[in-house]
Amino acid sequence: MRFSVRLERVPAVVAMIVLTVTVLGPLYWITVSAFKDRQEILLSTPTWFPQTFTLTNFQQLFLSTDYVIYLRNSIIVAVATTVVTLIVSLAAAYSLYRLRVPGSGRIAGIVLVSYMIPGALLIVPLYKTLSGLELIDTFAGLVLVNVAFTAPFCTWLLRGFLLAVPTELDEAAAIDGAGPARTMLRVVMPLMVPGVATVGVYTFIFSWTEFVFASQFIVSDTLKTLPIGLSALVGQYTINWGLVMAGTVLTLAPTVILFILVGRFFVGGLIAGATK
Amino acid sequence: MTLSTTNRAVRTVGDRLRRPVVRSGMPASTKLLGYALVAPIVIIMAVVIAFPLVSAVTTSLQNQHVIGSPADFVGVDTYAKLLQDDAFWAALGRSGIWLLLNMIVQTLLAFATALLLQRNGWWSTSARTWIMLPWAVPTVAVAVIWQWMLNSNYGVVYKIFAGVGIDLGAPFANGAFSLITVILVNSWHWFPLSAVVIYGALATVPNEVIEAATMDGANAWRSFWAITFPLLQRVLFALGLVGSLWSFNVLDSIYLTTKGGPAGASTTMPVYIYDTAFSAFRSSEAAAASVVTVIVLAIAGMLFFRFGRPKEY
Repeated sequence: MRFSVRLERVPAVVAMIVLTVTVLGPLYWITVSAFKDRQEILLSTPTWFPQTFTLTNFQQLFLSTDYVIYLRNSIIVAVATTVVTLIVSLAAAYSLYRLRVPGSGRIAGIVLVSYMIPGALLIVPLYKTLSGLELIDTFAGLVLVNVAFTAPFCTWLLRGFLLAVPTELDEAAAIDGAGPARTMLRVVMPLMVPGVATVGVYTFIFSWTEFVFASQFIVSDTLKTLPIGLSALVGQYTINWGLVMAGTVLTLAPTVILFILVGRFFVGGLIAGATK
Repeated sequence: MTLSTTNRAVRTVGDRLRRPVVRSGMPASTKLLGYALVAPIVIIMAVVIAFPLVSAVTTSLQNQHVIGSPADFVGVDTYAKLLQDDAFWAALGRSGIWLLLNMIVQTLLAFATALLLQRNGWWSTSARTWIMLPWAVPTVAVAVIWQWMLNSNYGVVYKIFAGVGIDLGAPFANGAFSLITVILVNSWHWFPLSAVVIYGALATVPNEVIEAATMDGANAWRSFWAITFPLLQRVLFALGLVGSLWSFNVLDSIYLTTKGGPAGASTTMPVYIYDTAFSAFRSSEAAAASVVTVIVLAIAGMLFFRFGRPKEY
């Protein structure tokens, strides 16, 4: 590697260093803290690397808290939300931006405008609606709400991917005698894999991180998701920081790992969908 | 620059506004399939958004306390009470500040980041992926991370600042700083999304045009405003509209760090509504606040749409 020191590059290099530290520094710090023992974590002069590398915090997390239950619940909610959102938004995008049924412009507009109404403002009447449907304190209720707050954005994002699939393919399929449903499932959908991946990652992360609805619409301890469980750890009278750090690391680990695996494709897909 | 380049480069959300081509000869079976496919999203939006919105209006005309408890019709009394409540106006104002500062901080960060991502070299290539990590971190973890790092006894950021003689105090617990602290934390969480979208939009700006401008003697600043910015306008407009609404909607970042405090210093509108409904048990007032806020946002949105929209829309 050649290190060329050119004065004009200094500002950019400084900006890169600042950005790297700002973005990755906190994640590094929380991770190393989780592996420190009780004394080291509270040292008044912080250590940059764990001197007392220990797994006690994680051990305690699994033994003395309901972390495993929260983890299971989060996986159920995130996977269910992702699957339902994918089906709903793929279907809607296909109808609105491919088949273009009469009135599709208006329907797309109404869906997007209702998506823009901040959900936090609707939490009170939404609670009432869900309890009327007997969906309070159920995964189904939480998934329904999550889908409503992801599907419109995903439908719009899929639009860009659909437009990239040439319509000649549909016509060719029609000439070959394929009906509209067959054309959709056999011809267009297989070409939508990058779009599906992007929308899937977006939805998974949205529901994995969702806090506000989960905190009000889930009541039972056995149904709580990870963010709620973690906030309960923080809310205790004397915070056990080591335990909180371990809980935090294990809460963000799944999304970070997902990102390391497919992040490149996700970013590419987001850009393709949003700038089309 | 030709018009077609402009169009290709900046086509965005707004396309949905164009009338779709209605194919007159669409077969009935296709039509049926189409409506069946779009039905689920319409039903879900009706149940989760439209119906609660109507329900908010009805609740706001009653005097309900605990959600769902029996209540009497009181007409606009709740609104009269709400509009006289200083806390309501303070929360609305704070939401305005929240929106504006988040927008400024995140736009600056996102633009700077996008320009860095555009460069060549291993840093930019790898950063295009890891830059998104703060967005993928659950808000509750974001709250823990920053509370931990800013903790005045053990926090590493606190210590670093103390090392150079700056006493950060307790930024989440200090009424003068709590709102701005949460804004910075929230910006850390959200700027990557805008950064990546802006980076993507920048990539659609044809290089040859910039090079031609440079050869004609335009400096970087001038070619940015004359070429890049106009091409970015559509993306920025869409991002501005959706980003503002997402930002307004933020409740978790605030609730998990300051709970709206101290003494209401970081209580934005969503926090006010949440507290009024779930802590003070004044459902009708919370519903009335929701209705008023939706109206204010709708007006703001329409004004933004009317005046902020790029011309070729």
